[in-house]
Amino acid sequence: MSIVSPVPPPEVPGAGVEIRVGPAGPIPGPLRFLGRALRTLWSNRKASIGLVILGLVILVAVFAPLLAPHSPTATTFVPYQNPSATNWFGTTGNGQDVFSQMVFGARISLLVGIAAGAMATLMAVTIGLIAGYRPGVIDELLSFMTNLVLVIPGLPLMFILAAYLQKRSVWTIVFVVAFTSWATGARVIRSQASTLRTREFVTSAVFSGEGLFRVVFREILPNMTSLVAGSFFSAATAAVMAEASLEFLGLGDPNAVSWGTILYYAQQQNSLLTGQWVLVFAPGLAIALLAVSFTLINFGVDALSNPRLREK
Amino acid sequence: MRRLSHAKSMTICAAAVALALVGVSCSSSSNNGTTGSGTLTIQGDSGNPTLVENFNPFQGSQLHGTNLIYEPLEIPSPIDGTYTPFLATGFKFSDTKTLVYTIRQGVKWSDGKDFTPADVVFTFNLLKKYPALDGRGVWQQITAVSASGNDVTMSFSTPNVPFAISIAQTEIVPEHLWTNMADPTKDPNTSPVGTGPFMLDAFAPTQYSLKKNTTYWQADKIAPAEVLFPAQASNQSTNQLDVVSGKFDWSYNFLPDVKTTYVARDPAHNQYWFPPGGTIGLYLNLTKQPYSDVNFRMGLSLALDRSTIALKAVNGYLDQASMSGLILPNLKKWLDPSLPNQGNVKQDASAAQAAFAQAGYALQSGKLVKNGKQASMTIVMPGNFSDWVAAAKEVVNQLGSVGINASLDLPQYAQYSQSIQAGTFDAAIGGFGGTGDPYTDYSLALSSSFATPVNTPTANNFERFKDPSVDQALSTLASATDSSSQKQATYALEQVMYNKVPILLMYYGGSWGLFSTKRFTGWPSAANPYTLPTSYNNSLLTVLTHVTKA
Amino acid sequence: MGLRAMRYVARKVVLFLITLWAAITLNFILPRLMPGSPVDAALAKLASSGQPITNAERRAVEIQLGVPHTSLITQYWDYWTSIVHLNFGTSYSFPSETVAQTIGKAAPWTLALVGVTTIVAFIIGTLLGVYAGWRRGKAADTSVTLGATFFAAFPPFWLGLLLLYVFAFTYGWFPIKGGYNPGETPNLSLSFLTSAVYHSVIPALTLAITSLSGWVFGMRNNMINTLGEDYVTFAEANGLRTRTVALLYAARNALLPNVTAFGLSLGAVVGGSVLVEGVFSYPGLGNLLYIAVVNHDFPLMQALFLVITVAMLVAIFIVDVLYVRLDPRVRQ
Repeated sequence: MSIVSPVPPPEVPGAGVEIRVGPAGPIPGPLRFLGRALRTLWSNRKASIGLVILGLVILVAVFAPLLAPHSPTATTFVPYQNPSATNWFGTTGNGQDVFSQMVFGARISLLVGIAAGAMATLMAVTIGLIAGYRPGVIDELLSFMTNLVLVIPGLPLMFILAAYLQKRSVWTIVFVVAFTSWATGARVIRSQASTLRTREFVTSAVFSGEGLFRVVFREILPNMTSLVAGSFFSAATAAVMAEASLEFLGLGDPNAVSWGTILYYAQQQNSLLTGQWVLVFAPGLAIALLAVSFTLINFGVDALSNPRLREK
Repeated sequence: MRRLSHAKSMTICAAAVALALVGVSCSSSSNNGTTGSGTLTIQGDSGNPTLVENFNPFQGSQLHGTNLIYEPLEIPSPIDGTYTPFLATGFKFSDTKTLVYTIRQGVKWSDGKDFTPADVVFTFNLLKKYPALDGRGVWQQITAVSASGNDVTMSFSTPNVPFAISIAQTEIVPEHLWTNMADPTKDPNTSPVGTGPFMLDAFAPTQYSLKKNTTYWQADKIAPAEVLFPAQASNQSTNQLDVVSGKFDWSYNFLPDVKTTYVARDPAHNQYWFPPGGTIGLYLNLTKQPYSDVNFRMGLSLALDRSTIALKAVNGYLDQASMSGLILPNLKKWLDPSLPNQGNVKQDASAAQAAFAQAGYALQSGKLVKNGKQASMTIVMPGNFSDWVAAAKEVVNQLGSVGINASLDLPQYAQYSQSIQAGTFDAAIGGFGGTGDPYTDYSLALSSSFATPVNTPTANNFERFKDPSVDQALSTLASATDSSSQKQATYALEQVMYNKVPILLMYYGGSWGLFSTKRFTGWPSAANPYTLPTSYNNSLLTVLTHVTKA
Repeated sequence: MGLRAMRYVARKVVLFLITLWAAITLNFILPRLMPGSPVDAALAKLASSGQPITNAERRAVEIQLGVPHTSLITQYWDYWTSIVHLNFGTSYSFPSETVAQTIGKAAPWTLALVGVTTIVAFIIGTLLGVYAGWRRGKAADTSVTLGATFFAAFPPFWLGLLLLYVFAFTYGWFPIKGGYNPGETPNLSLSFLTSAVYHSVIPALTLAITSLSGWVFGMRNNMINTLGEDYVTFAEANGLRTRTVALLYAARNALLPNVTAFGLSLGAVVGGSVLVEGVFSYPGLGNLLYIAVVNHDFPLMQALFLVITVAMLVAIFIVDVLYVRLDPRVRQ
C-alpha cells in the first residue's frame, strides 16, 4: 500500500487534506476516512453548527412517520385554521395539517438537495477530471462547454426545461437542477486536476506503470476530496433553493409534499391575507436553514483546503 | 483612504437621493386612483397581463367598461328575471312568433347624434351579416327585423318566448359610425360612441377611466362623475391584498374568510354579498372517448363527493349543486319533484364502479383500466381562479381514489378560454347557468346549434353536446305559453341533466361582491337583491344606475 | 493601450463571439430535443387562438421551434436569418403584438431593476467584505459572515413576500404591485420616473439582500489572501498603520478579482428576478418568463431565453474588457 505524500505547500488550494491509507483494520478504509473528515470538520466552529442543523433535518426526515401527528395529505381538517391543539401549525386551505406537511416535507427537500447535489458533483468530477487530466482538444472542448453552461443563467434555464418536460415529478426536478449546476464544480476540479497532473507523485505513479484508472482514482482524486466535498455542498445548497423556486412557481409535482409546495399553496391560498403567518414563515425558514447548514459545512471544507482561512 | 471615502460618500449620496425620491413619490401616489369624491373605482378587469384596449361590445375580449358605454334594450335580472327597461320602454309578443319593442325617444349618442329605431335594426342586421359577432345566437331564432314608427319588430322562425331574454340584452351600436367600419369582427373600437351613462376618458394598459356622459337620458340617476378601472395583476394573491387594502368601491374577487379579512378591516363601510351566481361544473370534451360514453360520465358523477368539493372550493360560502341544473333554492319552482333528493347526487363508490364496468373499465390494483390503459384526465382552468383550482385539486384527489389519474393545467384566462372555445381541451372547469331563466341556462349549454366542430370556436356548449331529444325539449319549452307546459318541458331537460350527465355539476359558484360604502351606497345585497354583484357584464349598468353618493 | 492589453481584449472578443454563437446554437437545439414536439403544441395553440395568424407568423414560429420535414441545416440558416431580423414570431399570451415588441417593452424594466440592484449589492457587499476581511476572526467578522450567509439562504421570492406583506400591505409605505402608477404610460416625465423608482424599491431591496453574500465573501477572501501577501508585510514593516495598509493597498488589489465575479453574481440576480418580478407583478422580462412558463408559451420562452443569455454574455464581456482599464498589469 502506498502512502500519499504529506501536505503540499499552501498556495495550492484544495490539496490540504492528509490521506493515510494504512493496512486494513476492523473498520473499512472509507468509513475511517469519513470519520476523520467529520472530526476535522467538527473542529471548525461554523461547520459544526452546520452539521448539527443538517443532522437535525436528517433525523426529522428519517423519523417523519413517528414525528408527524397526522398524514400530510389527508384533507380531513377544517381549512384555514390558525395554530391549535390538534394542528400545531394550523391548516391549509384544503384542510391539511401543516405541521405534518413540514415534517414530511423535509424528506423531499433533503432528497432533492442531496440527490441533485450528488448528481451535479458526479458530472462535475467526471468532466473536470477528464478535462484536467487530458490536455489538448478534449480539454479545450470540455472547458468551452463548461464556460458556456456557466454563463447561461441557471434559474431561467431550469424553468424552461421544466416547462418543456410535460411530466412533473420530483425526479424531473432533480435532473433539471443537476444538469444546470455542474459547471462551477467542473471548472474548479479541472483546474486542480491539471495542476496535480504535473506533480511528482503522479508522474512517478505513471512511470511505475499504473493504469489510467488507478492514477485518477487512487492518486489524483483523493487529493481533491475537499474540493469535491466543497463542490457537493455548494451544489446541494443551490439545489435546495432551486427546488423551492420550481415548486413555488408550480413547476414541480403538485401532488408531492415539500417545503416548496407548502409555500406554493400558501401563496395560492393567500395565507398572509388570512393571517396564517406560519404557513409562509415555517417552510421559508426551513429552506433557509437547510441551505445555511450546507454553506456552513462548506466553510469548514474551505478551511481544510485553504489553511489561511482556518480559524486561528 | 481617498478611494474608499469616495465610495462611501457616493453611497450616502445615492441613499439620500433615493430617500428624497421616495418622499416625493409618497405624497404624489397617495392621490393615486381617487382623484375626487365623484370617482368610483372598480376592481376586476384583467388583461393578458396588461389591459388590451377593446371596447367592441360583441367581442369576448371587450373591457368591462364597455357595459357602461353601450346599452341594451332591456336588462333582465339574473336572479329572478324581472326586466329593467333601457333603450326600449317595453315589449310584447303580438303573437308567439312576433316580438315588438317600443323604443325610447329623446336619447342621444355621445357624439350628439340622435338615437333612433333605425340604429336597433342596423345593429341586429350587423349581427346577421357577421355571425362571428352573434355570441347570443340571435339569428338562430329570428328571421327578420324591421322598424316602423317607434317600434322595432322581430319575427321568429319558431315560437320562442324565453328567447326575448337574449334579444333584450343585445347592445345597440350607432349606425352612422359602424356602417363605415371595415371589419367589425376585428375592430377594437377604441373611440366608442354609445348611448350609455359613461364615455371613454383615457386608456393606459394599467388603467382606463370613463367620464360621465352629461347628455345621458337618465343623467340625474348617475352619481359618479368618473369610473376608474385599474388592471388586475395576474397574481391572484396580489389582487386579494389589493382588494382588502381599501382602494376600491366595488371589487369582484374571491376572498377566504371574508368576515375577518375584509369586513373586519372597516366594519362601518366594508360589506360583502356572495349570492350563488351560477353552477361550477367539470366539463368533459364529449367529442373524445371515453367521455362520449354516458356510463363513464355516470361513474364519474357517482365518484365525486360534491359537498367536500364545495367546502374546499368556496370555504363553506355555498353548497353542492343539484344535478338538475337549477340553482336551488332560487329556481325551486321549476324543480321536477320526481328527481330523487332534489337532484343532489351523493358519492357512491360501488355504484361508480358498476357504471365504469358498463363502460368497459375494471379496477386493477388501484387503477381504473381498459385495454391495458389507465383512465386519465387533464383538467384545465385559469390559474388565478383560486376557488376553481381548489375544487379541481379535490376532484383530482377523489378521482385518484377510484383509480383515475387526473392532473391540472393552469394557464392564464385567455389561453383557457381559447382552448375551451376551440374544443381542444380534455376536461375543464367552467360555469353553467346563472341567467335566471332555465330555458336560457339549458339552451346555452346543451343546444346542438352551438356545438361547432373541434377547432371552430364557440362561446357556448363548448363541450359539444348533441342530443336531438334535448333540442326537441328546448323548442317545446320555447313555444310553451302556459306555466304547466313550461314546467313539463323544463322537467324533461332536468331529467337529461340528471341521467345523461352532459356536465358534471359540482357546486354553486358565488358572485363575489365586495363593496365599500365610504363614497357610494346602494349596492346590491341580500336585503336588496336587484341584481348579481358581477362587475363583468351588464350588471355594471344596473348597479351604476342605482348607487348614490354616501 | 499597450500591446499586451490589445491582445487581451482581442482574445476576449474572440471568446465572446464564439460563446455567443454557441449560446444561440444551444437555443436552436433545445426545443428540437424536447419530448412532445413543442412546435406542434405552439402551432395548435396559435391556430385556436381566434386571432388570424398569417403564414409569415406561422413560419416564424416554426423556425424558432422546429420545422417539420426540413433538414437541420436549412432550419439553422433560417433561424439565424430570423434572429438577425429580430423576428421571433407571435406569442399566444400576447397575440396582438409580436414577441419582439413584447420583449422590447419589458426589457428596460428588468435592465433598470437588475442594474440598480447589482450596483447597490456590489457597493454594500464589497464594503462589508473589506470590513470583515480586515477585522478577521473578531466579532465583527463573524457577524458579517454569518449574517451574509443567512441572508443568501433566503429564497428570493420568500423574502419578497415577507417584505411585500410588511412594508407594502401592512404599513402601506410602498405599492403592492406594478412598475409604475396605474393610468400612466411610460414616458420621461419626472412624475413617471419617480413613480417608477418608488415601485422598484422593494423588489430591488429583495434582490440586493439575497445577492449580497457573493460580494461579501469574494471580497473577504480576497482581502484575507492579500493581507497575507509579502508587500503588505513589507508595508507594515515600513511603519504604515495596518488600517492604511488594509484600506489603501489591500482593498484596491482585492477589488480586481471581485470584478470578474460579477458575471456569476449577475446570473444569480437575473434568476432571482424571475421570481421576484412575479411576486410583485413587476413588468420586466422575469415576469414575462413566468407568464410564458405558466402558459406553455414556447415562442415567448425561446425568445426570452435568447435575450437573457445574450444580454448576460454582453454584460460579462463588457466587464471583462473594463478589467483592462482597472488592472495596470495588463495595461503595460
